[in-house]
Amino acid sequence: MPELRNVIVFTVGAGRYAVELRWVREVVSLGFVTGVPTAPQALGGVCNLHGAILPVLDVPAVLGQPPGLPARQGDGALVLEAEGVVCALRVDQVDHVASLHESGGEILDAAGRPLTLLEPQSLVRRALELISEHA
Amino acid sequence: MSEGELDFDPDELVMLRQLFRAEAQEALETVTTRVLAGGSAKPSADTLTEMMRVTHTLKGAAGTVGLNTMVDLSHRLESAIASFSREPSPWTSTTADQLVEVTDGLRAYLDQAGEPASEAIADKLRDQIDQIARPNRRPQSLPPPFVEPPPEPVLEPAPDSGPPPEPKAWLRVEPERIDELMSSAGELLFDRTRIERRVQLLRTLARDLAGTRQRLHDVLDHEGPPSRAALGEADGELAGQAALLSQTTAALLDEIEALRRTIGDLQRGLTRIRMESARNLFLHAARTLRALRRATGVHVELRTLGEDTEFDKAVAEQLVDPITQLLRNAVAHGVEPPEERAARGKPETATVTIRARQDGNLLVLDLSDDGRGIDTGALRERLVATGRWSPTRAQLADDAEILDALLGTGVSIRGEADELAGRGVGIGLVRETVAKLGGEVKVSSTPGRGTTFSLRLPLSTALAQAMLFKVGGQVYAIPNVHVIDTTLVDPGATTASVRHETLPVLRLEALLGHGTSNERRPGVVVSFAGKSLVCSVDKIVGPREIIIKPLGPLLAPLTLYAGATISGSGKVQLILDPAQLVRRAHPDAPSASLSDAGSAPMVLAGRALVIDDSRAIREAMTSMLGREGWIVDVAEDGARALQMTRGLRYDLIVTDLEMPELGGFDLIARLRKDERFKTTAIVIITSRANPEHRRRARDLGVRALVAKPITRRKLLEALAAR
Repeated sequence: MPELRNVIVFTVGAGRYAVELRWVREVVSLGFVTGVPTAPQALGGVCNLHGAILPVLDVPAVLGQPPGLPARQGDGALVLEAEGVVCALRVDQVDHVASLHESGGEILDAAGRPLTLLEPQSLVRRALELISEHA
Repeated sequence: MSEGELDFDPDELVMLRQLFRAEAQEALETVTTRVLAGGSAKPSADTLTEMMRVTHTLKGAAGTVGLNTMVDLSHRLESAIASFSREPSPWTSTTADQLVEVTDGLRAYLDQAGEPASEAIADKLRDQIDQIARPNRRPQSLPPPFVEPPPEPVLEPAPDSGPPPEPKAWLRVEPERIDELMSSAGELLFDRTRIERRVQLLRTLARDLAGTRQRLHDVLDHEGPPSRAALGEADGELAGQAALLSQTTAALLDEIEALRRTIGDLQRGLTRIRMESARNLFLHAARTLRALRRATGVHVELRTLGEDTEFDKAVAEQLVDPITQLLRNAVAHGVEPPEERAARGKPETATVTIRARQDGNLLVLDLSDDGRGIDTGALRERLVATGRWSPTRAQLADDAEILDALLGTGVSIRGEADELAGRGVGIGLVRETVAKLGGEVKVSSTPGRGTTFSLRLPLSTALAQAMLFKVGGQVYAIPNVHVIDTTLVDPGATTASVRHETLPVLRLEALLGHGTSNERRPGVVVSFAGKSLVCSVDKIVGPREIIIKPLGPLLAPLTLYAGATISGSGKVQLILDPAQLVRRAHPDAPSASLSDAGSAPMVLAGRALVIDDSRAIREAMTSMLGREGWIVDVAEDGARALQMTRGLRYDLIVTDLEMPELGGFDLIARLRKDERFKTTAIVIITSRANPEHRRRARDLGVRALVAKPITRRKLLEALAAR
């Protein structure tokens, strides 16, 4: 990766993540989050987004790490669309829109701090796998 | 053959006959068109043959659905047409007219076919048809009018039957719309049958797979090295099963797609029935505004636009209250006193405009006044004064956000409580009602110029009745059609007695919530596919009208949920799937009992291919063979059948002889050349079995020739023949 422009950088728990802006449809503040019992931790709940049902994902849990805070009304979230799925990623904080570069196998932001670049298609596929396994 | 001998359920017969009628209308139409195309001249030999073929098909189909008079009539018509294909031809100048008259008469008769009252019409038709082929024996007098119009039913009540009843809300619907719905409903039945057949095949396949696995086990358990031959055999079986599985899955997907389309048609049809124009809503608005004018003395006029905009009746009813509320709001808060208006250079009489329009899939209702507009500064102060917003937030928010906050409950534009518009609760309710209908409300305002409330709603709304209840602090819903009662469940009980029946208890607080408690709990009695259970819950909320929303692909694997709905306050509520609840409460009763119990045979006879150009006959044969354990595919002619046999092996082929494209004998001849179909059982169904046919059938190794109409007994005999 020579340089990746237009990524949005955010934090969930202790993790810092980035996703290319072209996948992000909206940055929203979540409405009431309805829990989905019987779903894995990767699915933090569902929300009403403009009258449609919006699943809210817990990024660390999807990646197999300890989950972040439970999703609640008023939390920030990025609404993505990939693989025909519209879903939200709950975030603790949206940092900034930035350019990324690679150094020594690590992806770094402009300030040289490492972060995880998310690939929405595989993230959605992984979430779907987790939900299917759990069902 | 009387109806008692027919091999169909009553509703299946109704559907088959409906199919037959549609098909017969088409066949008769073909005859009419061909005759009319030739003017009064005799049609060509080819045209006559085609006319004979369609009447012939008609005869066979009529017999299969047990309409014997129709069999007789189409037989006569076929003979009459056949007589013209022989020389010397008796075709005269009136023959064409007579034929058209007869086909028209038959089409009129079709609607009543099968009812005793129709026999008189049939008798006349019979004479009429017989006249065609024997022009020399004309009746002395002119024939009576073809079909006597049935006497007008008496609809007027007798004069002395007392005062007329209270007017009811009647729905006026064009008959064509009902016909479309009926045919979609019929289609559903066939879709269901097709899917059930596939499921049956999958079940058999599961058994086969278990068998293969057992054989593999036996081979591997055997002392010494496993035999290559035995492994090869098992591998071959697995390959066949894998191929069948992928074919079946593909077919199932097609059939589910067809089902999806049928359901879509049905839904659209029903929606169209429920559409009404905005006119009624506008009339209501005019009445409301008149009343407000009288009550307040405010000079205000109503202007309406787009009254032809159509929308769902149910939605229209739900909009009455929000519109009333918004009108009150406009009169109470929007419109300035006349002197203020005059000072601003506005006409003394204010105008409220309601505009209905369709915007893509949305119905948009804009309600605007030309009043003072909303003072966002004052609203900002009120939001802070009532403690709803922090001063910082109020400062940072732009005007649009401030206006949006107005729609939240409990904020009023004016400080004091107001007789007309309430304490601002009104506008909150508008948003709740609109949200419940799946829509949203937007406010825009220009100070000094006016305010517009824009209601954006889905054009049609799938409203369903559901039982709502709480578990673990969340509200869930179950479609009301599956809720038969509510009851109380004792702590720790695993069964509950409901209406003298002992039902299993499913602890939803354990499934969806956090553990159990030691109190008696309310229970919702759910029934699905003949099985019932009691779901214990925290609290019953009650029946509500809900809008069902799909959960989307990500949540699809969570089969416990059938969908979701959005509450008035915008919260998502999950809808539980009754089928899954039943499955969890009756874990030892697998899906077998959930499908069409009783009629599904446990032994699979094999795969059969039915080829006939009549859809009624195809469906009838599918139903009969299905009941004998066959998995049935269908083709409408020989060419299509050949295509299908390229990919699949069949254990039985049942074919008609006369079909467009490729006829029955040509099809059989081609199949016999294919190594895979050299010895396959083939049965011919025909209503024209002459010695020549029998000879050809014998030469081609056909197992049996069955005369139409086909009955179950005849079919079983044919299948048993060797």
